Amino acid sequence: MSVVVFALVQLVPGDPIRLALGTRFDQETYDALLARSGLDQPLVQQYLTWAGRAVTGDLGVSFRSGETVTSLIAERLPATLTLALASILVALLIAVPLGTISALRPRSLVDRVATVLSQIGISVPEFWMAIVLILVFAGTLGWLPSGGYVGLTEDPAGWAQRLLLPAVVTGVVSGSVITRFVRSSVLEALGADHVRTAQAKGLPRRQVFTWHVLRNALLPLVTVTGVQLAYLLSGVVVVEIVFSWPGLGQLALQAVQARDYPVLQGAILLFAVTFLVINLVVDLLYTAIDPRIRR
Amino acid sequence: MTGAPLPEPAASPTATDAGVRSTQRAPRPRWRETLGLLARNPTAAIAAAVLVLLVLMAVFDETVAPDGPNEISVDDRLQAPSWAHPFGTDDLGRDILSRVVLGAGVSLRVGFLAVAFALVVGALVGLLAGFYGRWVDDVLMRFMDVLFAFPAVLLAIAVLAVRGPGAGNTALAIGIVYVPVFARVTRASVLGVREEVYVRASRSVGASDWRLLTRHVLPNAAPPIIVQTSISLAFAVLAEAALSFLGLGTQPPNPSWGLMLAEGRGFIDIAWWLAFFPGMAIFLTVLCFNLLGDGLRDVLDPRQRTLMAGGGR
Amino acid sequence: MRTNRLLPLAAAAALLLSACGGGESVDTGGGGGGSGGEGGTLVAAVAAQPDQLDPHQTTAYPSFQVLENVYDTLVVPNAEDLTMEPSLAESWETSEDGLTWTFTLREGVTFHDGSEFDSADVVYSYRRIIDEELQNSYRFATVTGVEAPDPRTVVLTLSQPTPNLLERIGAFKGMAILPENAAEDIDLVTEANGTGPFRLESSDASSTVLTAYEDHWGGAPSVGGVEFRYITEPAAALTALQNGEVQWTDNVPPQQIESLADDDSVELQTTPSVDYWYLSMNYARPPFDNRDVRRAISLAVDREAVAEAAWFGAAQANQTAIPEDSFFHLDYAPFERDVDQARQLLSQAGVQTPLTMGLMVTDEFPETVTAAQVIASQLEEIGVTVEIETLDFATWLDRQGQGDFDAFYLGWLGNLDPAAYYQEQHQTDGPNNYQGYSNPQVDQLLQQGAVETDEDARKQLYDQAAQIIVDDVSYLYLYNPDVVQAWAPGLQGYRIRADKAIDFATVELP
Repeated sequence: MSVVVFALVQLVPGDPIRLALGTRFDQETYDALLARSGLDQPLVQQYLTWAGRAVTGDLGVSFRSGETVTSLIAERLPATLTLALASILVALLIAVPLGTISALRPRSLVDRVATVLSQIGISVPEFWMAIVLILVFAGTLGWLPSGGYVGLTEDPAGWAQRLLLPAVVTGVVSGSVITRFVRSSVLEALGADHVRTAQAKGLPRRQVFTWHVLRNALLPLVTVTGVQLAYLLSGVVVVEIVFSWPGLGQLALQAVQARDYPVLQGAILLFAVTFLVINLVVDLLYTAIDPRIRR
Repeated sequence: MTGAPLPEPAASPTATDAGVRSTQRAPRPRWRETLGLLARNPTAAIAAAVLVLLVLMAVFDETVAPDGPNEISVDDRLQAPSWAHPFGTDDLGRDILSRVVLGAGVSLRVGFLAVAFALVVGALVGLLAGFYGRWVDDVLMRFMDVLFAFPAVLLAIAVLAVRGPGAGNTALAIGIVYVPVFARVTRASVLGVREEVYVRASRSVGASDWRLLTRHVLPNAAPPIIVQTSISLAFAVLAEAALSFLGLGTQPPNPSWGLMLAEGRGFIDIAWWLAFFPGMAIFLTVLCFNLLGDGLRDVLDPRQRTLMAGGGR
Repeated sequence: MRTNRLLPLAAAAALLLSACGGGESVDTGGGGGGSGGEGGTLVAAVAAQPDQLDPHQTTAYPSFQVLENVYDTLVVPNAEDLTMEPSLAESWETSEDGLTWTFTLREGVTFHDGSEFDSADVVYSYRRIIDEELQNSYRFATVTGVEAPDPRTVVLTLSQPTPNLLERIGAFKGMAILPENAAEDIDLVTEANGTGPFRLESSDASSTVLTAYEDHWGGAPSVGGVEFRYITEPAAALTALQNGEVQWTDNVPPQQIESLADDDSVELQTTPSVDYWYLSMNYARPPFDNRDVRRAISLAVDREAVAEAAWFGAAQANQTAIPEDSFFHLDYAPFERDVDQARQLLSQAGVQTPLTMGLMVTDEFPETVTAAQVIASQLEEIGVTVEIETLDFATWLDRQGQGDFDAFYLGWLGNLDPAAYYQEQHQTDGPNNYQGYSNPQVDQLLQQGAVETDEDARKQLYDQAAQIIVDDVSYLYLYNPDVVQAWAPGLQGYRIRADKAIDFATVELP
């Protein structure tokens, strides 16, 4: 994995040192900077140095700013976590009720409306929705700030105000995806043999629903929520940019543009690890929820 | 019909169905029936019709477009929609309707190329992994997992940084991102088919792997892949727009919807039509691919094996 | 695309931003008055995050926007006409032969940590730039010695007369004075210890916060602090200004100027900048080595139309580099758009049309992408097919450095002295002569201009050089854009500057 990360990053053409110098080029300064960055070493040696340090949690130092990669990432982690969790919350608030209601009354008006809404939610370009929302809520109505981020502890009201729009944008998209899963898995659970049996035995509807249907429908929900969370945690690049949200996606994009290899490598490594951890958690939740899986 | 989730899987092969027929020929999806069913789903039918229209528009772009899409006339810039320019003009005085028409070609071409690449490579990987299992499966799917673990847009950005911007490279970048999706869907589907009676029967009479794969496994594993293709086209169009929005996709002066949207963004509060029409074009196209995908899923893949990745991220 | 990204506006090297360290160089109305000094915090919306805060290392404009208010230089450009005036140096003398400059330093100046400023700090700062070959070491190319005979005196010795020495050491905060051993004592990348009107409070991924330094030698600032908030999206920055979240922004796209003119919630100002934008053709790639071909292309370009399209009127077409307001401006415009004559020149040169010319632009500066499309349509008329290549800035710089281009389009920003406008770009072995121009006559004129100490004689030398450069089309000069900034109505004591230095020392909140 780490080799893949390193190789991919090194393939990107463009010389970070030249970029750091900008348009005013000077050979002596260039050589001095090159030697300082370690980029004049052979690639294999660069990789070994990097991997060796990465194991100990030292991801190196940014070419662009001279700050350590770990501190750059740590600086952006709160914003990313905040947005990801808020978005998932919005998504679940939309998806669970909407998906369940449509599954309980398939082909009804509610179901059709919900289906169309979720289709629209999936099909709208996020950046487009973001711009329109800024224009309406921050511009015309003036109710909310247009972007930016403040810490929860510094200014709780400002934190919530700034979080609302980006969380809604990403939450609507994720929520639309999840709605469809909830609908189909609740439907499937409703049709499952044990549910029919329970119904036949005359158990109260509510009990059947909460105990048998929801429990079974929860499994796919956990999976898809996990996948969505992984996406959100790796930084929703475009939305972060439109809302000036200082998250990891922005950091990674800047790193690509500045050819800041250490930062890019660090960020991608973190995303990959996040993804694996979430998968692991999803697996663990599975065992907890699903009585059929016993290992 | 409480509890019956979705229409009966009319076109979907089942073991009993196949078993009673010949051991030589596995059932194929019945196309006519599929189309008939699709036609009974009005939303999907309309979506398909709109898409056909779009493709025709893209093919005959030069004839359909009222003006040259790259004709610059600074004096006519930022004109609101009117009879002369139904969608208005942009910051260089170019006719937006013409650019939206031309942009259809660019967006669709990139979308189709990307999905074609993902489909061919992904399906092949999934087929091999699912059919052979064991270490082949392990190696291939681990690699797919690694690829899948990269955030989609970042992976595409990195690919574009390596290869340079442009329509072809954008298609490749998006294609690479979706390879693991197709690999997973195909593998899952193949696993379901591999142990079916007709496959085992065919194997027992000594059919070659190649014959098994092409005659039996692939056709029967196809329905979820077809559904995935339609849905992926939706995401590919979105992804192209996002990448062009970030300046990495299509190159000016050629119009692509994402690029037009990005260019129009700076004018949103003084000339809304610059970003509105390309935005609508993206939205409608993506919506149609999604609706068609849904319709196809109802018909071809009632068990919902298809992956639904999140909104083109 | 237009920019999303938090762009490391790295072009920077070019950004010789300047500054004004103290309050005294900016005299705008309002002075002092009632707001009671300790006022609130000014929130300024800027387009991007500083890449780092070491003034000697960074080349990014967003960094200098902040550093302008934190550090001082020995001399600074005057807000009015950008001539150099005292800052940390109170006065200076030049020896008869022009090879020794003696600076007398200001007394009673303290750094933010309370330590006294003296000549050792100047020597340390300059030696750091020279000895470590940092970005700006080229500015000391003619400096052979930096000495401090006593705590209030610094002597620079030179290898040749350097009439633009003050510009070299004062044009922008890249030449900031750090306290002695600063690089060892603090982490300059994230911390700061300057003599400027504000001290660095904090800097993170969403904003940089400064607080007033009460003991500033020019007097305490009027506001209690400044927060630079990063808002990438121009529309969002403007919205933030209109609804009062921020009080100042420079993230205003030119197309907004007209609609903002009659918006009461925003005070918008423009002023001609010292930047210029140009197109450059590669002499190593025939037929662009042919003077007639370059002149044909120059004749085919309508500079007014390009400026209008890219800047919505907020730019002045110019056929030389130096803008009209400068003392060194040369009124010389030999090219009047003439398609027929251009065609004729091309056929004289034996060029088969259509001729294809790749034009390299970068989305780092979106206006280049827009302008390139206009140039492409103009050149189409003389049978030159322009293939626009939009690259990210890293790739762009790489290819420029390798000479892998037919033509490119970029600007030089923040120039103050004619040497900065012409020397490194057009001298035969100039480090930024990527096009490969070589004209012995120009070399000689530039050489003389660099050491001529009489202003008028110096202007004449550069005028002559500029004429030849324009005639040869070493650069195809296009226009000088305006600086565009907007702030809340009632904001006092701020002054928009041609060099884009952002000085908040005397600003007062509405």
